[in-house]
Amino acid sequence: MRKLLVALLALALIGAGCGGSDKKDTGGGNVSKPAAGAKKGGTLTVISQGDVDSLDPGYWYYQYDYMAMQQPTQRMLYGWEPDKTVPSPDIAEGQPEVSDGGKTVTIKLKKGIKYSPPLQNRTVKAADFKYSYERCFLPQVGNGYINTYFGNLEGVKAYTDGKAKEITGLQAPDDNTLVFKTTEPNAVIANANALALPCAVPVPKEYAEKYDKGKQSTYGEHQVFTGPYMIPRKGDKFTGYQAGKRIELVRNPSWDKSTSFQPAFVDKIIFLGGNDATVGSKKILSGDSMINGDLGAPPTNVLKQALSRQKDQIEVTPSQGNRFIGFDSAKKPFDNENLRKAVIAATDREALRLTRGGPTVGNIGSHFLPPGLPGFEEAGGLKAPEGLDFLANPKGDMEVAKKYMKAAGFPSGKYNGPKITMVGDDEEPASNTGEAFLEVLKKLGFNVNYRQIPHETMYSKFCQVPADQPEVCPNLGWGKDFYDAQSMIDPIFNPKNLVPTGNVNYANVKDPEIGKKIEAAKQETDKAKATQMWADLDKELTAKAYLLTWLWDNQVQTKSKNVNGVVSKFNTSWDVTYTSIK
Amino acid sequence: MTAYIIRRLLWVFVLVFVVSLLTFIIFYLLPSADPAVLRAGRQPNPQLVEEIRKNLGLSDPWYVQYFHYLRDIFLHFDFGTSYQNNIAVKQQVMDRFPATASLAAGAAVIWLVSGITVGVISALKSRTFIDRAAMGSALVAISAPVYWLGLVSLYLFSKDIGRFHIFEGSGAYVPLTENPAKWFSGLLLPWLVLAAAFAAFYARLLRGNLIDVMGEDYIRTARAKGLTERRVVFKHGLRSAITPIVTAAGLDIGILLGGAILTETVFNIPGIGRLVFDSLQKSDLPMIQGTVILATFFIVTANLIVDIAYAFLDPRVRY
Repeated sequence: MRKLLVALLALALIGAGCGGSDKKDTGGGNVSKPAAGAKKGGTLTVISQGDVDSLDPGYWYYQYDYMAMQQPTQRMLYGWEPDKTVPSPDIAEGQPEVSDGGKTVTIKLKKGIKYSPPLQNRTVKAADFKYSYERCFLPQVGNGYINTYFGNLEGVKAYTDGKAKEITGLQAPDDNTLVFKTTEPNAVIANANALALPCAVPVPKEYAEKYDKGKQSTYGEHQVFTGPYMIPRKGDKFTGYQAGKRIELVRNPSWDKSTSFQPAFVDKIIFLGGNDATVGSKKILSGDSMINGDLGAPPTNVLKQALSRQKDQIEVTPSQGNRFIGFDSAKKPFDNENLRKAVIAATDREALRLTRGGPTVGNIGSHFLPPGLPGFEEAGGLKAPEGLDFLANPKGDMEVAKKYMKAAGFPSGKYNGPKITMVGDDEEPASNTGEAFLEVLKKLGFNVNYRQIPHETMYSKFCQVPADQPEVCPNLGWGKDFYDAQSMIDPIFNPKNLVPTGNVNYANVKDPEIGKKIEAAKQETDKAKATQMWADLDKELTAKAYLLTWLWDNQVQTKSKNVNGVVSKFNTSWDVTYTSIK
Repeated sequence: MTAYIIRRLLWVFVLVFVVSLLTFIIFYLLPSADPAVLRAGRQPNPQLVEEIRKNLGLSDPWYVQYFHYLRDIFLHFDFGTSYQNNIAVKQQVMDRFPATASLAAGAAVIWLVSGITVGVISALKSRTFIDRAAMGSALVAISAPVYWLGLVSLYLFSKDIGRFHIFEGSGAYVPLTENPAKWFSGLLLPWLVLAAAFAAFYARLLRGNLIDVMGEDYIRTARAKGLTERRVVFKHGLRSAITPIVTAAGLDIGILLGGAILTETVFNIPGIGRLVFDSLQKSDLPMIQGTVILATFFIVTANLIVDIAYAFLDPRVRY
């Protein structure tokens, strides 16, 4: 199961079952900044269910990878201060210099940043970034986003085809200058968003290369750190890591605070995996010096109690992700835009939200971009985009649905064509959402073969395989990679991204005009213009009813009473480098 | 007897081989997800997926993959590397095994001692208040799901989230070699919870068997010969009535050594059960194979031990 929603949504709420406001209530002041006079020292324990996906920075992509590894242990070219929505220079000296019409991006690096032992005398050089990006293209590293955001670097094809030993579009003319050269302008490199993803963790080639050979890279288990914390080691082996059980982080003696924006208050951080969600949440709420890791929202009963008695220990933040229902627009009958609109019009989105717990779990969605992302307001904000009657009523409108059904060629206002297939998740609360949507389809006359199967299988055997894709996938979702609408719209709607397996263009959008507009927005380096272009695309895609976005998720974090928790807006989880013990 | 043991040991290898082959075929032919796609992240590029597949040897025919797998096990005792976190399967299994073994062994001692004691008392005091109370309690214990019982016991008795701070809570497990006292205190509540249902089942089983056996002719003969009741019960009655318990215990312990998923989850004991569960979720074939082979090994070994124990317990059994 795992990967797709894990980005942001696998950690989202599970059935809160309680009322609440859509407004953010921080309980204890501004939780995106450290408390005034935050104390140094102490040990912070992070209660989690699982583990990081890998120790390798080249593989990090998901929320818990950032929380447990990237933020505390590795510095990147650019990083995320918890209260900011634009990347801040970290190892980079300043913002990227863009030239050649957006096709060349030059970054100057800070001097004197050092690696952790055993390379404590080795400073970070521009060549280390060249190697870190190159290794992200290696199959033994298996990075999940490098082709999406760096695929148009000059010389990538020759490198990945094995015809060249290095990527010509990555250059290190001296130790402190890094240059990216792309074949077309690349907005997410120019605005540094993509340079704040973990391929921007420096990797010293002469040390790492031997670990990158073989079937799978083992550099992760031998890596050297640049961040304020590190996993302790004895010789060549980490002593502070036990897969699935425990990650222990101690201070990195090579880290120099004067060059970093991270305060790193606590002395030690222990991530404990394998916890049950109910027991873990209770431990955090009743114990000391604990925060949640990948536990997500406490189960209904615990959350209800906590919201009434321990509100200061609960933090609700928008996840900048969404949940949607996918229609295969390449197959009958969902190739008919009017039929898709009819189904959307008939859907009670409030009822769908209730299947996950009601208002606490997030705002009712209508268009694809979630709150907090550039383009959200321009695309309609919290209201449905204007002029779209099929989205006007969040409780659903059967009259509008019938109108569109008639326009789709069903004069009775009800579907009477062949049976359709819907494949959904078999676990609650997703299964409840699927069942609620089944009722909508039945009301419109659909005869549905509804299969509930394990989460991973749903994706990898059905919803992400166009050849075997059912007409409807009711349990889909997506989360941003960074504060740019590209990371939401490009993967899901760009016809270029249609692939035979692992396909995330769930609606199978093939319209070349949409593709052209997406490519144009990707190349726009002027932020305001790009924002408007993405917002216009969001409106157009919503008007074409490719998907039914029904929820913009919130996430719930928990902490012990004596913890000054700081939430990273970027990662919508606690930032352990800013969190302190009272 | 020696020939029998050797023969059975050979069967252990045959069974482990067959199970590993079946597991391999099932996961090769009917995988719940494509490991290469999972490994390639959420926006997989077809070229990358293909390269990962090739790199992991997933493009080879299944029998070639299986041959490589067996070769690595027999020649290097290498069970491969997890597709998920790149860490050696052997290392992870060995890392987790002590926790599972500690849990299973401690719980087995508790359920055998308490189950046998209660079973014998109930059988000897059959139809009395003590018998009815014991069997009634046993029924409750059998009916209580271990996950629920674990949560309730934590809410009531654990030092961190409980009402009465008596036992260590979840996540309190420490290896025996690190701190024996903490190992014992951290496992006490999980042992009791895990042992509850088993003890109840064993008590009921033994009670029924012992009542039947105590009505046999040879028991009457023993009494007629003037043996003490204690000797009649323990030397003649219990020895015969306990054989089904030995069978059940052998299998149960074998299965538990392959992982007690629910107990390990509730009490956050980092054992094999959690590893199996996580691996299944992630379609991590090398890890699934490794843990299945381990579980099979324990189950067939436990069976072998049970069969050998029969010869000592039951004079009628000869090999």
